[in-house]
Amino acid sequence: MMRKIYLIIASLLISLAVRATPNPEMIVVCYPGGSVNVNDASGAMNSMLRVVERVGQWQENSFNSLFTTKSAECRKLIAEKNPKFAITSLGLYLELRNQHNLVPVIQPKIKGRTSERYRVMVQKGKYKSLDELKGLALGGTALEEPLFIGRIVFAGKYDPAGFFVLKPSNQAIRALRSLDKGELDAVILNEQQFNALGALHLQTPLEAVFTSEEIPLMGVVANSATTTEEERARFSKALEEMCSDAEGKKLCDMFGVEAFTRVDADVFEPMVKLWDEGK
Amino acid sequence: MNSARFLTAVSTLAFLAGCAGLQHGQVQSDRLAECPSQTADMLVAEQSQLGPLSDTHTLACALNVLRGTQDPAISRTALGSRICLHLAEREASQEKREKLAAEGVRFAETALAQGGNGAVHYYLAANLGLAVREHITLAVENLGRLEREMKQALALTPGIDDGGPLRLLGALYLKAPAWPSGIGDIDKALELLEKAAREHPGHPLNHLFYAQALWEDGEEDALNQAKSEFALGERLLVEGNWGYNKEPWKKEFDKFRQELEEAGSGVSPAIVSKS
Repeated sequence: MMRKIYLIIASLLISLAVRATPNPEMIVVCYPGGSVNVNDASGAMNSMLRVVERVGQWQENSFNSLFTTKSAECRKLIAEKNPKFAITSLGLYLELRNQHNLVPVIQPKIKGRTSERYRVMVQKGKYKSLDELKGLALGGTALEEPLFIGRIVFAGKYDPAGFFVLKPSNQAIRALRSLDKGELDAVILNEQQFNALGALHLQTPLEAVFTSEEIPLMGVVANSATTTEEERARFSKALEEMCSDAEGKKLCDMFGVEAFTRVDADVFEPMVKLWDEGK
Repeated sequence: MNSARFLTAVSTLAFLAGCAGLQHGQVQSDRLAECPSQTADMLVAEQSQLGPLSDTHTLACALNVLRGTQDPAISRTALGSRICLHLAEREASQEKREKLAAEGVRFAETALAQGGNGAVHYYLAANLGLAVREHITLAVENLGRLEREMKQALALTPGIDDGGPLRLLGALYLKAPAWPSGIGDIDKALELLEKAAREHPGHPLNHLFYAQALWEDGEEDALNQAKSEFALGERLLVEGNWGYNKEPWKKEFDKFRQELEEAGSGVSPAIVSKS
Protein backbone atom coordinates (compact mmCIF):
# COMPACT_ATOMS: atom_id res chain seq x y z
CA MET A 1 0.00 0.00 0.00
CA MET A 2 1.10 3.54 -0.43
CA ARG A 3 3.78 5.16 1.56
CA LYS A 4 1.54 7.51 3.47
CA ILE A 5 -0.31 4.65 4.97
CA TYR A 6 2.95 3.20 6.19
CA LEU A 7 4.06 6.50 7.58
CA ILE A 8 0.91 7.29 9.42
CA ILE A 9 0.68 3.84 10.90
CA ALA A 10 4.25 4.06 12.01
CA SER A 11 3.62 7.30 13.76
CA LEU A 12 0.50 5.99 15.36
CA LEU A 13 2.30 3.07 16.87
CA ILE A 14 3.89 5.43 19.27
CA SER A 15 0.64 6.34 20.87
CA LEU A 16 0.24 2.78 21.99
CA ALA A 17 3.61 2.17 23.39
CA VAL A 18 4.72 1.87 26.92
CA ARG A 19 5.87 4.86 28.90
CA ALA A 20 9.33 6.26 28.53
CA THR A 21 12.06 3.73 28.30
CA PRO A 22 15.78 4.35 28.57
CA ASN A 23 16.27 3.18 25.01
CA PRO A 24 13.77 4.14 22.36
CA GLU A 25 11.73 1.27 20.97
CA MET A 26 12.68 0.85 17.33
CA ILE A 27 10.00 0.55 14.71
CA VAL A 28 11.10 -0.75 11.33
CA VAL A 29 9.17 0.67 8.41
CA CYS A 30 9.56 -1.02 5.03
CA TYR A 31 8.13 0.43 1.85
CA PRO A 32 9.45 -1.62 -1.07
CA GLY A 33 9.48 0.30 -4.34
CA GLY A 34 8.59 3.58 -2.71
CA SER A 35 9.79 6.82 -4.19
CA VAL A 36 10.23 8.58 -0.89
CA ASN A 37 13.67 9.85 0.04
CA VAL A 38 14.80 7.76 2.97
CA ASN A 39 16.40 10.66 4.82
CA ASP A 40 13.34 12.83 4.37
CA ALA A 41 11.07 10.01 5.47
CA SER A 42 13.14 9.09 8.49
CA GLY A 43 13.42 12.65 9.66
CA ALA A 44 9.79 13.29 9.09
CA MET A 45 8.74 10.08 10.76
CA ASN A 46 10.67 11.02 13.83
CA SER A 47 9.16 14.49 13.83
CA MET A 48 5.73 12.99 13.69
CA LEU A 49 6.55 10.56 16.44
CA ARG A 50 7.34 13.46 18.69
CA VAL A 51 3.94 14.94 18.10
CA VAL A 52 2.17 11.68 18.77
CA GLU A 53 4.19 11.26 21.94
CA ARG A 54 3.06 14.69 23.06
CA VAL A 55 -0.56 14.06 22.20
CA GLY A 56 -0.51 10.68 23.91
CA GLN A 57 1.37 12.05 26.92
CA TRP A 58 4.27 9.70 26.50
CA GLN A 59 7.73 10.89 27.23
CA GLU A 60 9.44 12.45 24.27
CA ASN A 61 11.81 10.19 22.35
CA SER A 62 10.31 6.98 23.67
CA PHE A 63 10.35 5.68 20.12
CA ASN A 64 12.39 5.81 17.02
CA SER A 65 11.97 4.55 13.51
CA LEU A 66 14.05 3.06 10.74
CA PHE A 67 12.77 3.47 7.22
CA THR A 68 13.72 1.74 4.01
CA THR A 69 12.38 1.36 0.49
CA LYS A 70 14.54 -1.68 -0.28
CA SER A 71 13.35 -5.20 0.41
CA ALA A 72 16.86 -6.44 1.12
CA GLU A 73 17.47 -3.66 3.59
CA CYS A 74 14.18 -4.42 5.29
CA ARG A 75 15.12 -8.06 5.79
CA LYS A 76 18.44 -6.95 7.25
CA LEU A 77 16.88 -4.39 9.59
CA ILE A 78 14.29 -6.79 10.92
CA ALA A 79 16.95 -9.42 11.48
CA GLU A 80 19.30 -7.02 13.23
CA LYS A 81 16.83 -4.95 15.22
CA ASN A 82 14.31 -7.66 15.94
CA PRO A 83 11.58 -5.04 16.40
CA LYS A 84 8.49 -5.77 18.40
CA PHE A 85 6.40 -4.04 15.77
CA ALA A 86 7.01 -3.27 12.13
CA ILE A 87 5.25 -1.93 9.10
CA THR A 88 5.83 -4.06 6.06
CA SER A 89 4.35 -4.82 2.70
CA LEU A 90 2.22 -7.94 2.44
CA GLY A 91 4.99 -9.60 0.47
CA LEU A 92 7.59 -8.99 3.13
CA TYR A 93 5.23 -10.14 5.84
CA LEU A 94 4.59 -13.41 4.00
CA GLU A 95 8.28 -13.93 3.38
CA LEU A 96 9.43 -13.14 6.92
CA ARG A 97 6.50 -14.34 9.00
CA ASN A 98 7.93 -17.68 10.01
CA GLN A 99 11.47 -16.49 10.52
CA HIS A 100 10.44 -13.62 12.80
CA ASN A 101 7.12 -14.89 14.19
CA LEU A 102 5.23 -12.07 12.56
CA VAL A 103 1.51 -11.69 13.03
CA PRO A 104 -0.70 -8.98 11.48
CA VAL A 105 -2.09 -6.62 14.10
CA ILE A 106 -3.98 -3.83 12.38
CA GLN A 107 -5.17 -2.91 8.89
CA PRO A 108 -6.09 0.47 7.40
CA LYS A 109 -9.58 0.91 6.03
CA ILE A 110 -9.82 3.02 2.90
CA LYS A 111 -13.08 3.83 1.17
CA GLY A 112 -14.77 1.23 3.29
CA ARG A 113 -12.38 -1.53 2.28
CA THR A 114 -9.47 -3.31 3.91
CA SER A 115 -8.41 -4.96 0.66
CA GLU A 116 -7.37 -3.93 -2.82
CA ARG A 117 -6.92 -5.32 -6.31
CA TYR A 118 -3.92 -5.04 -8.58
CA ARG A 119 -4.35 -4.46 -12.31
CA VAL A 120 -2.14 -4.85 -15.35
CA MET A 121 -2.80 -1.90 -17.64
CA VAL A 122 -2.12 -1.67 -21.38
CA GLN A 123 -2.94 0.78 -24.14
CA LYS A 124 -6.57 0.26 -24.99
CA GLY A 125 -7.12 -2.29 -27.73
CA LYS A 126 -3.47 -3.24 -28.04
CA TYR A 127 -3.60 -6.50 -26.07
CA LYS A 128 -6.54 -8.63 -25.04
CA SER A 129 -5.07 -10.79 -22.32
CA LEU A 130 -2.11 -11.26 -20.04
CA ASP A 131 -0.94 -14.15 -22.20
CA GLU A 132 -0.36 -11.79 -25.11
CA LEU A 133 2.19 -9.95 -22.97
CA LYS A 134 4.61 -12.88 -22.83
CA GLY A 135 8.14 -11.64 -23.38
CA LEU A 136 7.06 -7.97 -23.35
CA ALA A 137 8.03 -5.12 -21.04
CA LEU A 138 6.09 -4.76 -17.78
CA GLY A 139 6.72 -1.76 -15.53
CA GLY A 140 5.47 -0.55 -12.16
CA THR A 141 6.44 0.14 -8.60
CA ALA A 142 5.09 -3.18 -7.36
CA LEU A 143 7.83 -5.01 -9.25
CA GLU A 144 10.23 -4.35 -6.39
CA GLU A 145 8.62 -7.52 -5.03
CA PRO A 146 8.38 -9.94 -7.96
CA LEU A 147 7.73 -12.95 -5.74
CA PHE A 148 4.71 -11.24 -4.25
CA ILE A 149 3.42 -10.36 -7.71
CA GLY A 150 3.88 -13.92 -8.94
CA ARG A 151 2.56 -15.82 -5.95
CA ILE A 152 -0.16 -13.49 -4.68
CA VAL A 153 -1.22 -11.05 -7.39
CA PHE A 154 -1.03 -13.63 -10.18
CA ALA A 155 -1.94 -16.40 -7.73
CA GLY A 156 0.97 -18.51 -8.92
CA LYS A 157 -0.20 -18.61 -12.53
CA TYR A 158 2.58 -16.44 -13.92
CA ASP A 159 6.19 -16.06 -12.90
CA PRO A 160 6.82 -12.36 -13.60
CA ALA A 161 10.57 -12.70 -14.05
CA GLY A 162 10.20 -15.50 -16.55
CA PHE A 163 7.08 -14.34 -18.34
CA PHE A 164 7.74 -10.62 -18.79
CA VAL A 165 10.73 -8.40 -19.26
CA LEU A 166 10.52 -6.58 -15.93
CA LYS A 167 11.12 -2.84 -15.78
CA PRO A 168 10.77 -1.92 -12.11
CA SER A 169 10.38 1.73 -11.21
CA ASN A 170 10.04 3.73 -8.05
CA GLN A 171 7.87 6.26 -9.86
CA ALA A 172 4.48 5.03 -10.97
CA ILE A 173 3.85 8.17 -12.96
CA ARG A 174 7.00 7.65 -14.98
CA ALA A 175 6.06 4.06 -15.77
CA LEU A 176 2.65 5.23 -16.97
CA ARG A 177 4.19 7.91 -19.16
CA SER A 178 6.40 5.23 -20.69
CA LEU A 179 3.32 3.11 -21.31
CA ASP A 180 1.59 6.12 -22.84
CA LYS A 181 4.50 6.60 -25.25
CA GLY A 182 4.70 2.93 -26.07
CA GLU A 183 8.07 2.46 -24.38
CA LEU A 184 6.50 -0.09 -22.04
CA ASP A 185 3.91 -2.66 -23.05
CA ALA A 186 2.15 -2.85 -19.69
CA VAL A 187 2.21 -1.40 -16.18
CA ILE A 188 1.01 -3.05 -13.00
CA LEU A 189 -0.88 -0.77 -10.62
CA ASN A 190 -2.22 -1.05 -7.12
CA GLU A 191 -5.69 0.17 -6.24
CA GLN A 192 -4.67 3.68 -5.27
CA GLN A 193 -2.70 4.16 -8.46
CA PHE A 194 -5.52 2.76 -10.57
CA ASN A 195 -8.08 5.04 -8.97
CA ALA A 196 -5.93 8.10 -9.62
CA LEU A 197 -5.40 7.42 -13.33
CA GLY A 198 -8.10 9.87 -14.37
CA ALA A 199 -6.11 12.83 -13.11
CA LEU A 200 -3.11 12.05 -15.30
CA HIS A 201 -4.55 13.06 -18.67
CA LEU A 202 -2.58 10.53 -20.65
CA GLN A 203 -2.66 10.71 -24.44
CA THR A 204 -3.67 7.10 -24.92
CA PRO A 205 -6.61 5.47 -23.14
CA LEU A 206 -5.64 2.53 -20.98
CA GLU A 207 -7.47 -0.61 -20.01
CA ALA A 208 -6.87 -3.50 -17.66
CA VAL A 209 -6.04 -6.89 -19.15
CA PHE A 210 -5.72 -8.43 -15.72
CA THR A 211 -7.40 -7.74 -12.39
CA SER A 212 -6.34 -9.63 -9.30
CA GLU A 213 -8.54 -11.09 -6.63
CA GLU A 214 -9.03 -9.05 -3.47
CA ILE A 215 -5.75 -8.77 -1.57
CA PRO A 216 -5.76 -7.55 2.04
CA LEU A 217 -4.16 -4.21 2.82
CA MET A 218 -1.17 -4.60 5.07
CA GLY A 219 -0.62 -2.52 8.17
CA VAL A 220 1.23 -3.29 11.35
CA VAL A 221 2.78 -6.62 12.18
CA ALA A 222 4.08 -7.75 15.54
CA ASN A 223 6.64 -10.31 16.59
CA SER A 224 4.50 -12.77 18.52
CA ALA A 225 7.52 -14.13 20.35
CA THR A 226 8.62 -10.80 21.79
CA THR A 227 5.23 -9.19 22.36
CA THR A 228 2.46 -10.35 24.62
CA GLU A 229 -1.15 -10.71 23.68
CA GLU A 230 -1.83 -7.75 25.92
CA GLU A 231 0.71 -5.57 24.15
CA ARG A 232 -0.71 -6.43 20.76
CA ALA A 233 -4.22 -5.75 22.00
CA ARG A 234 -3.09 -2.42 23.37
CA PHE A 235 -1.62 -1.52 20.02
CA SER A 236 -4.78 -2.46 18.26
CA LYS A 237 -7.01 -0.54 20.60
CA ALA A 238 -5.03 2.67 20.37
CA LEU A 239 -4.85 2.50 16.61
CA GLU A 240 -8.55 1.79 16.36
CA GLU A 241 -9.23 4.94 18.37
CA MET A 242 -6.78 7.06 16.46
CA CYS A 243 -9.03 8.27 13.69
CA SER A 244 -11.70 9.36 16.15
CA ASP A 245 -9.24 11.46 18.13
CA ALA A 246 -9.49 15.16 17.23
CA GLU A 247 -5.94 15.60 15.97
CA GLY A 248 -5.63 12.01 14.83
CA LYS A 249 -8.69 12.45 12.66
CA LYS A 250 -7.05 15.28 10.78
CA LEU A 251 -4.12 13.05 10.01
CA CYS A 252 -6.35 10.16 9.01
CA ASP A 253 -8.42 12.43 6.77
CA MET A 254 -5.34 13.79 5.14
CA PHE A 255 -4.09 10.36 4.26
CA GLY A 256 -7.46 9.10 3.17
CA VAL A 257 -7.68 6.51 5.91
CA GLU A 258 -11.12 6.18 7.43
CA ALA A 259 -10.08 3.97 10.28
CA PHE A 260 -7.73 1.29 11.48
CA THR A 261 -9.31 -2.04 12.16
CA ARG A 262 -8.16 -5.02 14.13
CA VAL A 263 -6.99 -7.83 11.92
CA ASP A 264 -9.09 -10.87 11.30
CA ALA A 265 -6.40 -13.52 11.00
CA ASP A 266 -8.57 -15.54 8.62
CA VAL A 267 -8.20 -12.80 6.02
CA PHE A 268 -4.52 -13.55 5.64
CA GLU A 269 -4.79 -17.33 5.57
CA PRO A 270 -5.47 -17.55 1.81
CA MET A 271 -2.45 -15.32 1.22
CA VAL A 272 -0.26 -17.55 3.36
CA LYS A 273 -1.53 -20.58 1.46
CA LEU A 274 -0.80 -19.00 -1.92
CA TRP A 275 2.63 -17.94 -0.78
CA ASP A 276 3.52 -21.37 0.52
CA GLU A 277 2.25 -23.05 -2.64
CA GLY A 278 4.56 -20.87 -4.68
CA LYS A 279 7.68 -21.96 -2.88
CA MET B 1 16.36 34.41 -1.28
CA ASN B 2 16.89 31.35 0.78
CA SER B 3 15.25 28.63 -1.19
CA ALA B 4 16.99 26.05 0.93
CA ARG B 5 14.65 26.64 3.78
CA PHE B 6 11.78 26.29 1.43
CA LEU B 7 13.17 23.01 0.19
CA THR B 8 13.29 21.69 3.69
CA ALA B 9 9.77 22.87 4.18
CA VAL B 10 8.48 21.11 1.14
CA SER B 11 10.35 17.94 1.91
CA THR B 12 8.43 17.57 5.08
CA LEU B 13 5.05 18.67 3.91
CA ALA B 14 3.51 15.27 4.17
CA PHE B 15 4.88 14.32 7.48
CA LEU B 16 5.48 17.08 9.95
CA ALA B 17 2.81 17.63 12.47
CA GLY B 18 1.04 20.44 14.17
CA CYS B 19 -2.04 22.39 13.26
CA ALA B 20 -2.40 26.13 13.11
CA GLY B 21 -3.31 28.92 10.75
CA LEU B 22 -0.79 31.40 9.43
CA GLN B 23 0.70 33.44 12.23
CA HIS B 24 -0.92 36.77 13.00
CA GLY B 25 0.76 39.85 14.36
CA GLN B 26 4.07 41.49 13.62
CA VAL B 27 7.60 41.06 14.82
CA GLN B 28 8.72 44.35 16.31
CA SER B 29 12.32 45.43 16.35
CA ASP B 30 13.42 47.02 19.61
CA ARG B 31 15.73 49.42 17.79
CA LEU B 32 13.24 51.27 15.63
CA ALA B 33 14.11 54.54 17.38
CA GLU B 34 17.55 54.24 15.84
CA CYS B 35 16.22 53.99 12.29
CA PRO B 36 17.19 56.70 9.84
CA SER B 37 14.52 59.03 8.57
CA GLN B 38 13.25 57.56 5.33
CA THR B 39 10.10 57.32 3.27
CA ALA B 40 8.54 54.49 1.34
CA ASP B 41 9.37 56.29 -1.90
CA MET B 42 13.01 56.39 -0.89
CA LEU B 43 12.97 52.69 -0.13
CA VAL B 44 11.42 51.79 -3.45
CA ALA B 45 13.96 53.92 -5.26
CA GLU B 46 16.76 52.08 -3.50
CA GLN B 47 15.14 48.67 -3.21
CA SER B 48 17.86 46.87 -5.13
CA GLN B 49 20.16 47.56 -2.19
CA LEU B 50 17.89 45.74 0.24
CA GLY B 51 18.73 42.06 0.15
CA PRO B 52 20.76 39.25 1.64
CA LEU B 53 23.72 41.55 2.16
CA SER B 54 21.71 44.08 4.18
CA ASP B 55 22.06 44.01 7.94
CA THR B 56 18.99 43.02 9.91
CA HIS B 57 18.50 46.47 11.44
CA THR B 58 18.35 48.08 8.00
CA LEU B 59 15.74 45.61 6.83
CA ALA B 60 13.70 46.01 10.03
CA CYS B 61 13.69 49.79 9.56
CA ALA B 62 12.58 49.41 5.95
CA LEU B 63 9.82 47.03 6.95
CA ASN B 64 8.60 49.45 9.57
CA VAL B 65 8.28 52.19 6.97
CA LEU B 66 6.42 49.93 4.54
CA ARG B 67 4.00 48.83 7.25
CA GLY B 68 2.83 52.40 7.54
CA THR B 69 2.37 53.22 3.88
CA GLN B 70 -1.00 53.33 2.18
CA ASP B 71 0.31 54.42 -1.21
CA PRO B 72 -0.98 51.95 -3.81
CA ALA B 73 2.07 52.56 -5.98
CA ILE B 74 4.20 51.25 -3.13
CA SER B 75 1.80 48.59 -1.91
CA ARG B 76 1.61 46.86 -5.27
CA THR B 77 5.34 46.18 -5.34
CA ALA B 78 7.00 43.03 -4.03
CA LEU B 79 9.28 44.99 -1.73
CA GLY B 80 7.41 44.41 1.54
CA SER B 81 7.07 40.72 0.89
CA ARG B 82 10.70 40.43 -0.14
CA ILE B 83 11.97 42.20 2.98
CA CYS B 84 9.83 39.96 5.17
CA LEU B 85 11.35 36.94 3.47
CA HIS B 86 14.91 38.13 4.01
CA LEU B 87 14.18 38.75 7.67
CA ALA B 88 12.34 35.47 8.11
CA GLU B 89 15.12 33.44 6.54
CA ARG B 90 17.67 34.69 9.04
CA GLU B 91 15.35 34.48 12.07
CA ALA B 92 16.19 31.65 14.45
CA SER B 93 12.94 31.73 16.42
CA GLN B 94 10.27 29.64 14.74
CA GLU B 95 7.47 31.85 16.03
CA LYS B 96 9.08 35.05 14.80
CA ARG B 97 10.08 33.43 11.51
CA GLU B 98 6.54 32.35 10.85
CA LYS B 99 5.15 35.74 11.80
CA LEU B 100 7.52 37.45 9.40
CA ALA B 101 6.76 35.00 6.61
CA ALA B 102 3.02 35.32 7.21
CA GLU B 103 3.37 39.09 7.06
CA GLY B 104 5.22 38.61 3.79
CA VAL B 105 2.23 36.67 2.49
CA ARG B 106 -0.10 39.47 3.56
CA PHE B 107 2.09 42.09 1.86
CA ALA B 108 1.96 40.01 -1.31
CA GLU B 109 -1.79 39.52 -1.11
CA THR B 110 -2.25 43.26 -0.80
CA ALA B 111 0.09 43.80 -3.72
CA LEU B 112 -1.76 41.34 -5.91
CA ALA B 113 -5.07 42.97 -5.08
CA GLN B 114 -3.60 46.17 -6.49
CA GLY B 115 -2.18 44.63 -9.61
CA GLY B 116 1.12 43.20 -8.38
CA ASN B 117 3.44 41.49 -10.82
CA GLY B 118 5.21 38.14 -11.13
CA ALA B 119 7.71 39.04 -8.44
CA VAL B 120 4.85 39.34 -5.99
CA HIS B 121 3.69 35.82 -6.84
CA TYR B 122 7.23 34.61 -6.33
CA TYR B 123 7.70 36.14 -2.90
CA LEU B 124 4.23 35.11 -1.87
CA ALA B 125 5.09 31.49 -2.61
CA ALA B 126 8.45 31.69 -0.90
CA ASN B 127 6.98 33.26 2.23
CA LEU B 128 4.07 30.84 2.26
CA GLY B 129 6.47 27.91 2.15
CA LEU B 130 8.30 29.27 5.16
CA ALA B 131 5.10 30.04 7.03
CA VAL B 132 3.56 26.58 6.77
CA ARG B 133 6.51 24.24 6.84
CA GLU B 134 6.12 23.11 10.42
CA HIS B 135 2.38 22.52 10.21
CA ILE B 136 1.28 19.47 8.31
CA THR B 137 -2.38 20.25 7.82
CA LEU B 138 -1.69 23.79 6.82
CA ALA B 139 1.10 22.71 4.51
CA VAL B 140 -1.01 20.17 2.69
CA GLU B 141 -3.88 22.63 2.47
CA ASN B 142 -1.54 25.09 0.78
CA LEU B 143 0.22 22.75 -1.65
CA GLY B 144 -2.10 23.73 -4.50
CA ARG B 145 -1.70 27.40 -3.76
CA LEU B 146 2.06 27.09 -3.62
CA GLU B 147 2.06 25.41 -7.02
CA ARG B 148 -0.25 28.03 -8.53
CA GLU B 149 1.76 30.96 -7.23
CA MET B 150 5.01 29.46 -8.43
CA LYS B 151 3.55 28.78 -11.85
CA GLN B 152 2.36 32.38 -12.05
CA ALA B 153 5.79 33.61 -11.07
CA LEU B 154 7.38 31.32 -13.64
CA ALA B 155 5.08 32.57 -16.36
CA LEU B 156 5.51 36.25 -15.52
CA THR B 157 9.06 36.62 -14.17
CA PRO B 158 11.04 33.44 -14.80
CA GLY B 159 14.40 35.12 -14.34
CA ILE B 160 13.83 36.71 -10.96
CA ASP B 161 16.32 35.75 -8.25
CA ASP B 162 18.50 33.82 -10.70
CA GLY B 163 15.72 31.54 -11.87
CA GLY B 164 13.96 31.47 -8.51
CA PRO B 165 10.56 30.34 -9.88
CA LEU B 166 12.20 27.47 -11.77
CA ARG B 167 14.15 26.54 -8.67
CA LEU B 168 11.21 26.68 -6.27
CA LEU B 169 8.72 24.93 -8.50
CA GLY B 170 11.30 22.28 -9.35
CA ALA B 171 12.00 21.76 -5.66
CA LEU B 172 8.28 21.53 -4.97
CA TYR B 173 7.87 18.75 -7.53
CA LEU B 174 11.00 17.05 -6.23
CA LYS B 175 10.01 16.99 -2.59
CA ALA B 176 6.23 16.92 -2.51
CA PRO B 177 4.53 13.53 -2.11
CA ALA B 178 4.55 11.85 -5.51
CA TRP B 179 1.59 10.77 -7.63
CA PRO B 180 -0.87 9.38 -6.80
CA SER B 181 -0.60 10.76 -3.26
CA GLY B 182 0.45 14.28 -4.22
CA ILE B 183 1.82 16.65 -6.83
CA GLY B 184 5.41 15.39 -6.61
CA ASP B 185 6.81 14.54 -10.03
CA ILE B 186 10.46 13.69 -10.61
CA ASP B 187 10.23 14.24 -14.36
CA LYS B 188 8.90 17.76 -13.95
CA ALA B 189 11.47 18.43 -11.23
CA LEU B 190 14.33 17.35 -13.46
CA GLU B 191 13.10 19.45 -16.36
CA LEU B 192 12.72 22.62 -14.29
CA LEU B 193 15.89 22.25 -12.26
CA GLU B 194 18.01 21.38 -15.28
CA LYS B 195 16.71 24.55 -16.89
CA ALA B 196 17.43 26.59 -13.77
CA ALA B 197 21.00 25.30 -13.63
CA ARG B 198 21.55 25.82 -17.36
CA GLU B 199 19.97 29.24 -17.71
CA HIS B 200 21.08 30.63 -14.35
CA PRO B 201 24.39 28.91 -13.69
CA GLY B 202 25.63 31.46 -11.15
CA HIS B 203 23.28 30.50 -8.33
CA PRO B 204 24.56 27.73 -6.01
CA LEU B 205 21.13 26.37 -5.18
CA ASN B 206 20.23 25.83 -8.82
CA HIS B 207 23.05 23.29 -8.97
CA LEU B 208 22.34 21.81 -5.56
CA PHE B 209 18.67 21.23 -6.31
CA TYR B 210 19.44 19.82 -9.74
CA ALA B 211 21.98 17.50 -8.13
CA GLN B 212 19.34 16.38 -5.65
CA ALA B 213 16.88 15.69 -8.44
CA LEU B 214 19.46 13.68 -10.37
CA TRP B 215 20.26 11.77 -7.20
CA GLU B 216 16.62 11.07 -6.46
CA ASP B 217 16.14 9.90 -10.02
CA GLY B 218 18.67 7.22 -9.28
CA GLU B 219 19.61 6.49 -12.88
CA GLU B 220 23.15 5.18 -13.03
CA ASP B 221 24.37 7.63 -15.65
CA ALA B 222 22.93 10.57 -13.72
CA LEU B 223 24.84 9.97 -10.50
CA ASN B 224 28.14 11.31 -11.79
CA GLN B 225 26.34 14.33 -13.12
CA ALA B 226 24.72 14.81 -9.71
CA LYS B 227 28.13 14.85 -8.09
CA SER B 228 29.53 17.34 -10.55
CA GLU B 229 26.49 19.63 -10.17
CA PHE B 230 26.93 19.44 -6.41
CA ALA B 231 30.60 20.33 -6.70
CA LEU B 232 29.88 23.25 -8.98
CA GLY B 233 27.19 24.59 -6.67
CA GLU B 234 29.42 24.29 -3.65
CA ARG B 235 32.23 26.09 -5.39
CA LEU B 236 29.88 28.95 -6.25
CA LEU B 237 28.78 29.09 -2.63
CA VAL B 238 32.31 29.17 -1.27
CA GLU B 239 33.57 31.75 -3.71
CA GLY B 240 30.54 34.05 -3.86
CA ASN B 241 29.36 36.80 -1.55
CA TRP B 242 25.94 35.53 -0.51
CA GLY B 243 25.59 37.52 2.68
CA TYR B 244 23.17 36.15 5.25
CA ASN B 245 22.13 33.40 2.86
CA LYS B 246 25.51 31.74 2.94
CA GLU B 247 25.15 29.98 6.27
CA PRO B 248 21.76 28.35 5.72
CA TRP B 249 22.70 27.36 2.19
CA LYS B 250 25.89 25.79 3.46
CA LYS B 251 23.82 23.67 5.82
CA GLU B 252 21.80 22.41 2.88
CA PHE B 253 24.96 21.55 0.98
CA ASP B 254 26.38 19.81 4.04
CA LYS B 255 23.22 17.79 4.50
CA PHE B 256 23.20 16.59 0.92
CA ARG B 257 26.91 15.81 0.98
CA GLN B 258 26.29 13.65 4.02
CA GLU B 259 23.57 11.85 2.12
CA LEU B 260 25.94 11.24 -0.76
CA GLU B 261 28.64 10.00 1.57
CA GLU B 262 26.29 7.69 3.42
CA ALA B 263 25.30 6.22 0.10
CA GLY B 264 28.97 5.63 -0.64
CA SER B 265 29.02 7.83 -3.66
CA GLY B 266 32.51 9.09 -3.00
CA VAL B 267 32.23 12.84 -3.01
CA SER B 268 35.60 14.38 -3.72
CA PRO B 269 37.57 15.17 -0.52
CA ALA B 270 38.72 18.40 -2.16
CA ILE B 271 35.15 19.50 -2.41
CA VAL B 272 34.38 18.41 1.11
CA SER B 273 37.29 20.34 2.55
CA LYS B 274 36.18 23.52 0.86
CA SER B 275 33.08 23.74 2.92
